[in-house]
Amino acid sequence: MTADIAVQSAARNDVGLIPKVSEGPALLAGIAQGPGLVSHRDRLGPAPRPRAEALVEMAGDVDLRGRGGAGFPFAIKLAAAARRRAVVVVNASEGEPASHKDATLMTCAPHVVLDGAAAVAHALGTREVHIVVPSELPSLRLIVEKALRERAKAGERLKVELHGAQPWFVAGQAQAVLQLLAGRENLPVTAWKPEAVSGHRGRPTLLSNAETFAHLGHLARVGSAGYATHGTADEPGTTLLTLRGDGWDPEVREVAFGTPLTDVLSEAEMAQPLLLGGYHGTWLRSSQLNGLAVSRKDIAAAGASIGAGVLLPLAEGWCPLVRTAALVDYLAGQSAGRCGPCRNGLPAMAEALRDLVHRGGPAGRVEELCGLVTRRGACAHPDGTARLVASMLARFPDEVDSHALGICRGNRREVFA
Amino acid sequence: MSEHLLRVDWPACKAHGVCAELLPEVISLDEWGYPIVHEPVKGDVLALARTTVKACPTLALRLTQPPPRHA
Repeated sequence: MTADIAVQSAARNDVGLIPKVSEGPALLAGIAQGPGLVSHRDRLGPAPRPRAEALVEMAGDVDLRGRGGAGFPFAIKLAAAARRRAVVVVNASEGEPASHKDATLMTCAPHVVLDGAAAVAHALGTREVHIVVPSELPSLRLIVEKALRERAKAGERLKVELHGAQPWFVAGQAQAVLQLLAGRENLPVTAWKPEAVSGHRGRPTLLSNAETFAHLGHLARVGSAGYATHGTADEPGTTLLTLRGDGWDPEVREVAFGTPLTDVLSEAEMAQPLLLGGYHGTWLRSSQLNGLAVSRKDIAAAGASIGAGVLLPLAEGWCPLVRTAALVDYLAGQSAGRCGPCRNGLPAMAEALRDLVHRGGPAGRVEELCGLVTRRGACAHPDGTARLVASMLARFPDEVDSHALGICRGNRREVFA
Repeated sequence: MSEHLLRVDWPACKAHGVCAELLPEVISLDEWGYPIVHEPVKGDVLALARTTVKACPTLALRLTQPPPRHA
């Protein structure tokens, strides 16, 4: 039985969305019974406390990857942290406006995440846990606070501190989160050392996305074999997806790896271009979607990345170029303005793209700017923006050509030359 | 072996352009005056690179060893 539950979180950013969510196979199992600790423990029993080596081994067995977007192997991260008694940071800030999976997870199943955080803290021999939540979702913070009170009452001895991330795109970036924790502005700075070596106030830190902790808690409970009951032999387990996260019908789904894309998207959506991985993601043409599954390897073979699980099918009647130009306008405005190439390059890119899309300007300037901003900032905001734009140029050369002639092939048949 | 990377602290860099004057072998400036580092520093250029790092008005340059590659 699946129950559709509207996430109790209020308006998200300026889009005002309440995503639809249904029960999932692992992390989102039993959410219809509410987010309380009693029903959580009744269903699953007490959370196991494996030692660090066992946790690293299990994470390696199932090839658990970070779910914040970069997909770094979690076993490597955990092993590095385990050597150094690291501070634990759970990142649920979710700065990407088209992603709602972490907010949904924290709202519907906070104890699934907190079990993971507690398991990691125990394995690392630390009691210090920081949780970063979006400051624009006060209801989410209340739910997490209540969950923490329930756990304290049940005897959990963790020193948990909640932090409210600022409502901007780059606030969730690792270094920006560490700045926030240190009481400074929630913006990225240059990382000279990995946070596993020097993170929160210079101490070794294990900072990961909220969903990653949830998977770890689940893994600690069911073991590698239990975890692998979902997914494929190559890619065990499940993943959270946000569908149409900035559209009219947003939805958060938990699906097993290997699930065909046709199970996730409607027939009409399969016939549209797909922006995969969010605003820093990659475009795929509809012809590339046939036979594609929710799988890191399949998606990588198609030249894209699943990122943080954001799927944005292009709405019918829209032109992917017009959509990209609008996104780059937004992303340019989300530059923290601290790094010169990003502060100058992103507005220039937005302008060049507007010129290409609405006035038939040259693609060469857009390409040049993509090269100029890549790997030239404290965080990956310019890189992600360039990736989005480069994928637009690569996937839609015919559309670019027709725009050069003054014809937009969106349904609205806009002719502007 | 003795290869070093010249890394820019981007938030610190204020586009004075001193680095491109002192180390044109490795650094040029983009259209806004920010450095483009073209290649790793090695051999004779290393001493010059150290001078350049010290000369940056905002101390936005660092010489680092290349990080070990992950599998």
